[in-house]
Amino acid sequence: MIEAIGTYLPVWGSATGRVPGEDEDVVTMAVAAGRGALADPGTPVDTVVLISRELPLLEGGNGAPLLAGLDLELTVDVREEIGGAPAALEAVTNARPGTLVIAADVQGGAGAAAVRCGSAGPAVGSLGRVTRSLPVVTRDASGTVTEYADPRLLRERGVRRSLERLGPLGSVVAVAGLARRDAEQLTGAEGLPALPTTGASAALFALAEVAEGAAGGPVLAVEQATVALVELGPGPVAVHRDEAPPRSQPVTRPGAHADIAVSLAAYDRAFDAKLRLVAERCTTCGTLAYPARFRCLTCGSEAETAPVALPRDAVVYTVATIHVPVPGLSTPYTVILAELGDSAVRLLVRLTGAEAGSVGIGDRGRLVFRRVAVRTGVPDYGYAFTPEGPAEVAA
Amino acid sequence: MRRVAMVGAGMTPFGELFGLGIKDMVPMAVGEAVASVDRGLDRSDIEAAWFGELVPSDGFASGILADSCGLLDIPVSRLENACATGNDAVRHGTMAVASGMYDVVLVAGADKVRETSARTTFWDWMGMTRDMAWDFPLGLVAPANFALHVSRYLYESPATREHMALVAVKNHHHGVSNPKAQLRFEITVDQVLTAPMVVEPFGLYDCTPQSDGAAAVLLVAEDVVDRYTDRPVWVRGVGLGLDRVMHAHKPDMTSFPPTIKAARQAYAMAGIGPADIDVAEVHDCFSGVELINYEDLGFCDRFEAYKLIEAGETAVGGRIPVNPSGGLKAKGHPPGATGIAQCYELFAQLRGEANLQVDGARWALAHNVGGPTAVSAITILSTERA
Repeated sequence: MIEAIGTYLPVWGSATGRVPGEDEDVVTMAVAAGRGALADPGTPVDTVVLISRELPLLEGGNGAPLLAGLDLELTVDVREEIGGAPAALEAVTNARPGTLVIAADVQGGAGAAAVRCGSAGPAVGSLGRVTRSLPVVTRDASGTVTEYADPRLLRERGVRRSLERLGPLGSVVAVAGLARRDAEQLTGAEGLPALPTTGASAALFALAEVAEGAAGGPVLAVEQATVALVELGPGPVAVHRDEAPPRSQPVTRPGAHADIAVSLAAYDRAFDAKLRLVAERCTTCGTLAYPARFRCLTCGSEAETAPVALPRDAVVYTVATIHVPVPGLSTPYTVILAELGDSAVRLLVRLTGAEAGSVGIGDRGRLVFRRVAVRTGVPDYGYAFTPEGPAEVAA
Repeated sequence: MRRVAMVGAGMTPFGELFGLGIKDMVPMAVGEAVASVDRGLDRSDIEAAWFGELVPSDGFASGILADSCGLLDIPVSRLENACATGNDAVRHGTMAVASGMYDVVLVAGADKVRETSARTTFWDWMGMTRDMAWDFPLGLVAPANFALHVSRYLYESPATREHMALVAVKNHHHGVSNPKAQLRFEITVDQVLTAPMVVEPFGLYDCTPQSDGAAAVLLVAEDVVDRYTDRPVWVRGVGLGLDRVMHAHKPDMTSFPPTIKAARQAYAMAGIGPADIDVAEVHDCFSGVELINYEDLGFCDRFEAYKLIEAGETAVGGRIPVNPSGGLKAKGHPPGATGIAQCYELFAQLRGEANLQVDGARWALAHNVGGPTAVSAITILSTERA
C-alpha cells in the first residue's frame, strides 16, 4: 500500500523535459525525491529499492550516499535495479511494507520519484506483464547507447503486440514510458496526464498523478516492447512535489580536463558527517563544530563530542562568483559561506539550482544533497545551497 | 637580544621569467644583495641562510639555494608559510642574529608561479593548500578565498568597487616608476570597473598577476654592522599571526585577524604605533584586500579605509604612502619572494634611494597575508637604531 510519494525535477530544462545540473546524478535526484516521500511519519523504512538505467556507478557503491542523503541507517537494505518504467511499477507492486521504491532518470527527461510502501493508503496490484524483445535502443555495459531509430516499428511491432498479448487494459488512467499522443493512440484512452520523464521514474510519476486524483485505476508502464499493468486502488496519498518551474540552463564554459586525485582516506573520514550533515557538539561548553575537530573551537576541550544534525535552512553570509576558467569545473560558478539556521555553524558550499552570481548576502535558501565533484572516478557527494523558492508543495 | 641590521638587498625583476629557472633566479637575487653592501661582503661571511619558497620548483629547495649560490658549507633551511613566507623568513633570520647565534645571515625567497600553465597554476596549487575532503572539491581557487572576505567587507563598510579600483589605479601608477615591476602601465578607474570579471567582486585589474621572481636581504648583528655599512636599516619589529584555517570558522570575514595579531607583536617590539609609519608595503594581492589591510594595520579606523584612498592619503605624497613599489598589484607576486621584495623596496626607501621616494621616511612596514587568509607576517624597519 502506498503511504506517500515524493517527486523531484531539476530546475533546468523546459516544459518538454528537464536536464540535470552538473552537480546532479541519479543518486542526488533519488535523494531529493526520497526525502519528499519520507517527509511525513510512516512505516519505518528497512529497504530501499533504486531503479534506473543510469546508475552513477556499477561498482563502488551508490547505496551508501543514497542512505546518507535520506538520513537512513547504514543497516537499511539497498537494492539497485537496472530497469525502466515497467520495472519500477513492478517494484512497487512487489514491495513489502517498509520499502522505499525510488526511480530516477537522466535521459529522456530528468527526474526522480519515490513511493513509500507501508500498511496504509491505496493498494497497488499487478494486472500483468509482458517481456518481449525489440531493442531499438541498446546500452552496453560501458554505457554506450546505440539507436536503431525506427519509432513506427517499435510502436506497431513492439508496443502494440505486447499490449495485445497483455489482454484487456480496462480504462487506463495513466501511461508511463510513452509520449502522450502515442499512449492515447495505443490504449484508446483520452486525457491521459503528461509525465515529465520517460524512463523508470515515469512509472512513479504516473502513480503520483493518479494518487493525487484519489480515484485510482489501471496504470500502464512501457519500455520498448516490455509492458506492465497495475491497478492502483482509490484513496488519497500525500504527494510531496519538489518541482520548480523549468528554466533554461545557463550557458557555462567547461573547464579543461583536470583531476586532483581523491584521497580515499580523507573521503572516508569525512563521509558520514559530510553526507549526513552532522556536526559534533562539545560536551563541555556546547559549541558545535562542523566538521568535527579534535579540540573544541571555543573552550579547547578534547573530550568526547556528541553528534547533532544540522539545520538545512541557510542564509548567505558571504559569496564569491568565479568567472575565470578553472580546470575541471564549468564557469561561472558561485561559492557561498552559508549560515545554517540558528546553529551558529557556517558551511562553505556551491550554489545550485540558480544561475551563478544570482544570490547576495542575506538571501535565504536551503541545503540540498548534490554531487560536488567527481575525483579519480569517485563521486564526491555533499551539500549545496539553493535559494528559497516554491519547493515542496504538498498535494 | 642583539639589534639586527639589514645591510644589503637584491631582487630579480618580477614577471613571467620563462627564460629563468629557480636555479638562475635565486643566485641572481642573492648576488645583487651581496653586491649592494656598501663596504662589500664576502660570501664566506654568511653563516646561515633561510629560503622562502611556497611551492618547490625543480626539487629540493634548501639544496638549490646552497648549491646555486655557492653556500654549501652553511646551514640552509627552507621556510614555507603560505603567502606570508617572505616576511616570515625575514623574521627567522632576525631571530637567528638577535639570538647571538649568527652574525651574518642570508634571507632569500623565490617562486616560479609561471612554471606551470597559466590556466592550471592555481588549481595545481589548490590541491596542496586546501582541505582535501571539505573545501577542495568546491573549486575554492585563490582569488575566491579573498573574494569571500571582500564581498562581506563591501556589504558591511561604505567602501565600494570604485574604492577598490582607486587602489589598483594608485598601485599601477606607483609601479610605472619601478623598473623591476611586472605591470608598468597606468590604468583608469573605468578600466578597472569594466575589465573582465575574474572572481566577483574582482575584475582583472583588481588582481595581482602571476609572477616569477626572487629576492634576498642580508641581516647582520649590530656588533659587526660597521664592517658593512654606515647607513644600515634596522629590523625593529617582526610579527607573525595566525587564524582558523577554514573560512567557516572565521567569525568576522571583514578583517584579517592574523594581520592584527602580527601587527600587535611588531609594533610592540618596535615600541611604535601605526601613526609612526612613514611608508608601507602591504599585501594587495587583490585591490579590496589593501583596504582591509589599512584597518587591520591601524592606519585608519574600522570601515574607514575608503576615506584614505579617496583622499589620496596612501599615494606617494600622501600622509601614509602604501606600496610605492607598485605592490603585488603592479610589481608582481611570486609568493616566496614577495615579502622579501617588500623589504628590498623599504630598504631603498629608508636609505633615500627608492625609485619613487617617500621624503624623509624613517619608519617602514612590510606586510603579507595569506594561507588562505589564515597567516600574516609583518616586518618593521627603521633608520633608527634604538
